[in-house]
Amino acid sequence: MAVLIQSILSGVLIGGVYALTGIGLTLIFGVMRVINFAQGELVMVGMYGTFFLFSLLGVDPFLSVVVTMPAMFLLGAVLQRSLINRVLDALPQNQILLTIGMGLVLSNVAMLAFTSDYRILSTSYSSSSVPLGPIRLSTPLIYCFLITVVITAALYWFLVKTDVGHAVRATAQDRDAAQLMGVNVRNMGVLAFGLGSALAGAAGALVAPTYYIYPQVGGAFTLKAFVVVVLGGMGSIIGATLGGVLIGVAESVSGTYFGSGWKDVCVYVIFLLVLLLKPAGLLGKSRM
Amino acid sequence: MKRTFVISVVAAALLALVPLFIQSPYALHIFILFFIVVALGESWNILGGFAGQYSVGHSAWYGIGAYGAFILLQQKNVAPWFGVWVGVAVAVIVALAVGWITFRLRGPYFVLASIAVAEIIRLLALNWKDLTNGAEGILASDLPPLKLGGTMITDWNSKTPYFYMGLLMAVFCIAVNYVVKGSKLGYYLQAIREDQDAAHSLGIPLTLYKNAALGISAACTALAGSFAAFYVGFIEPQGVFGIDVSIQMVLTCIIGGIGTVSGPIFGALVLVVLTEMLRASLAQAHLLVYGVLVVVVILVMPEGIVGFASQRLRRRKAAAA
Amino acid sequence: MTALLELRSVSRYFGGVKANQDVTFSVEPGIVLGLIGPNGAGKTTLFNCITGFYPPSKGDIFFEGARINGLSPDQVCKLGMARTWQKVRPLAKLTVLENTVVGGLCRTRSVPEAREIALQQLRVVGLEKRADVLAGGLPIGERKKLELARVLATQPRMVLLDEVMGGLNARESEEIIQLILDVKRRGLTQVVIEHDMKAIVRTCDRIVVLNSGEMLAEGAPQQVVNDPRVMAAYLGDSGGMKA
Repeated sequence: MAVLIQSILSGVLIGGVYALTGIGLTLIFGVMRVINFAQGELVMVGMYGTFFLFSLLGVDPFLSVVVTMPAMFLLGAVLQRSLINRVLDALPQNQILLTIGMGLVLSNVAMLAFTSDYRILSTSYSSSSVPLGPIRLSTPLIYCFLITVVITAALYWFLVKTDVGHAVRATAQDRDAAQLMGVNVRNMGVLAFGLGSALAGAAGALVAPTYYIYPQVGGAFTLKAFVVVVLGGMGSIIGATLGGVLIGVAESVSGTYFGSGWKDVCVYVIFLLVLLLKPAGLLGKSRM
Repeated sequence: MKRTFVISVVAAALLALVPLFIQSPYALHIFILFFIVVALGESWNILGGFAGQYSVGHSAWYGIGAYGAFILLQQKNVAPWFGVWVGVAVAVIVALAVGWITFRLRGPYFVLASIAVAEIIRLLALNWKDLTNGAEGILASDLPPLKLGGTMITDWNSKTPYFYMGLLMAVFCIAVNYVVKGSKLGYYLQAIREDQDAAHSLGIPLTLYKNAALGISAACTALAGSFAAFYVGFIEPQGVFGIDVSIQMVLTCIIGGIGTVSGPIFGALVLVVLTEMLRASLAQAHLLVYGVLVVVVILVMPEGIVGFASQRLRRRKAAAA
Repeated sequence: MTALLELRSVSRYFGGVKANQDVTFSVEPGIVLGLIGPNGAGKTTLFNCITGFYPPSKGDIFFEGARINGLSPDQVCKLGMARTWQKVRPLAKLTVLENTVVGGLCRTRSVPEAREIALQQLRVVGLEKRADVLAGGLPIGERKKLELARVLATQPRMVLLDEVMGGLNARESEEIIQLILDVKRRGLTQVVIEHDMKAIVRTCDRIVVLNSGEMLAEGAPQQVVNDPRVMAAYLGDSGGMKA
C-alpha cells in the first residue's frame, strides 16, 4: 500500500513537469493551430542551459529558472518570427514537418556543440529525500513540483486577469474575431510560442537535476507532451495540467509494477486509447 | 508517358553496367545507399504521397521486415530471400491492424498515432529479449550463397551483389508506384488526399483504400528494410525502429516531390549526396542535414524538386498558349 | 408511380439545435425537385443526411424503396445518388479530366473506360477543352461545372445539387440552367437547392420550402413562390433571394 502511495505521489510530482511541457504545447496549438514537434527539444535546450549555469557559474538549477525562462522565451520568439510564422497557412502536415526539422536542427546542433556524452547535474540535495510517514519523497522532485505550481499559477493569472492574457485566449478561440477586435494576432503568435518555449525551458531546468542530459532526450519529452495534451484536450490548459499529472502517475505506477522498460509502453498505449476513444480529450478543444 | 518509360529503362540499364566500370567499394557503397533510400522513399510515397496520410512511424514496417528475416536466419537458418517474406507478411498484418484502428484519425492526429505505434513496437523489440535479443541486437550470420538450380550466383562477399539487389529493390518500388499511380487505386488514393469528404461522396470507401495503400506501402518498406538491414549486417531496436528511419523516408519524398513517382529519386539523390559530403565534418550529427533540409524545403519549395519543376513547366506552357 | 427518394419525418439534431424537424416528401423519378428556404433552414443538413454523412436522428429515408438510414456516403453513391457541394470541392492537384475520372471509376475498375465516361461528361458540361488544367486553377464557374461533370460520371440515377449556381454571373447561371434541363431530358432525377427564384421556377417541377428546419410549404413552383408564408420567411430574413 505504501509502495502504491509513494508511486502515485512521485508520479504527481514529476507529472507537474509533464504538465508544463504540455501546457506549452497546447498554448501554441490553441493560438496558432500549429503542433510543435520540437517541444521536447526546447526542454532539452533548457536542460543544457541549466546544466551550464550550474557547472560554470554555480547557480542552483531551481533558482536559475528565473534566467532560463526569459532566455527560452526569446528563443521561442525568434523561432516563431523566422520559421513558424511563415507556415501558418500551410498544410498542417507541412507545419508538422517544419517543426520536426526544427527539432532535428536543435538536437543535432546540441550534439555538435556538446557531444552526445551524458551529463549529470548533481546538487548537494540530489539524492536526499523527505520522509512522510512510511513514504520518502525525493527532494529535487518536491522543489520541482512546487516551482511548477508557482509557474502554472502565474500563467493562469496572466491568462485570466491581464488584458494581454485575454487577447491570447481570444486569438485561440477565434482568430478572425480577435483580429477584428483589434488584437494583433501575429504578436499573439510570437507570444504564444515564446511562452510555450519558456515553459519547456522551465521544465528542462526543473528536471535537469534528476534526468540524464543528452541531445536526444527531447524526443521522449515531445511524445509525452503530446500524450498529455491529447489526454487533456488540444487547446485546453486546464486539460494539459490534469493530463500531465495523470500521465506522471500512470508512468510512475506502471514503472513500479511492470518494470521501467514497460512504463513508456503504458504511456503510449494510453495515448492510442485516448486518440481512438475520446480524441477530443477529457476537456475538449478550444477552451483554455 | 512513353518517353518517361524509355528513359527509365535506359537509366536502369546504364546503372546495371556501373559495377563493370567502377570497382571502388566506397563508390558502390554510395550507390547502394542511394538505392535503399530510393526504395524506402518510394514505399512511403504510396501512403504518404498518393493517399496523403503522413505516417511518421514507417520504421515499424522496416524493423518488422528486418527482424523477421534476421531471426529466421539466426534461429532457423532460413536464407534471407525466403525469410524476408515472413517479415513482409507480419508487417502487412500488423499494418492493417494498425490502419484499421488509426485511419479514423485525420491529419496531425494520424501523424501522432503513427509515431506512437512505431515507438510501442520499438519498445516491444527492446523488451522482448527472448525473441529479439533486446538492445544487444542481432548480428547477421554469414549469408548462404545464392544458388539458382545448381549454379552459384553469388556468395555475398563483395559489394557487387548488394549493388544489384539494391538496384532491383529500387526499380521494384518505383514500378509499384508507377502501376499504382495509373490504376483505380491511384486515382482513389489521390482523391482521398485532396478532399476526403468529396472522395467519400464519389463512391470511395475510405478505410478500405487507405488500408490498401498502407498494406502495399508496409510490404515494400519491409522488403527494402530487410535488404538494408542485411547490407549493414546488424540490427538493434533503435537503429531499425527509431524515428530517424521514419523521418528519412518522409524527407526523401518531401524534398523530391511528394506524390510523384520520380520525386523520391531526386530526394534520395540530394539526401545521400549531402549526407556523404558532410559526414566527415558532422560525424554523429549528420541528421543536421536532414533538419536543415526539411526546414528549407518546407519554407521555400513545399512541392519538392519535381513539384516545383512541373509547376514551372505548367506556367511556361500556359504563358505560351 | 413509386418514389425514387422518400423522406418520412426526417429530423436531425445537433445537441440542442433542431437542424431538421419532421421533413417529409417524396421525389418521383425524372422530376426536378427544388429545395428552397432562407439561409440556415437546414437544406444542406438534409442533403448530408440523405447522402450518408450522418444519419437522421429520427425518421427514415428510402431510396428506390430501400431504407438507407446509416449507410456511408460511398454506399449511397454506389446505390445511385450523387451530390455536389455548396462550397465546391475540386480535387485541386488533379486535372479536370482526372477529377472526372474519379467519378467515372465508381462503376468500373478500368481506368480507360472511366476516361471515356469522363470525357463524355466533360463534353456535356462544356469543359472538354480544359481537360488538362489543374482543378485548383479553375475559376468558380468552371469549378461548378466540374462538380457537375464529376457526379454525372458516377452514372447516378439521381443527383443532389447544392447551390450549384451560387456565386455565378447571369451567363454562367443560364448555362447551368440549361445543363439541369439537359440532365432532366436524359432521365436523371434531381433535387436542387437554390436561392435564384427565376432559375427555380424555370427548372423545377415541384418545390419544397424549408424554414428553420421545418417544412413550410410544398407544391407547384408558381404556387409556392407566390405563397405569402414563403415570402414572409424570406423577407423576414436576409436570405439571398434573387427574384
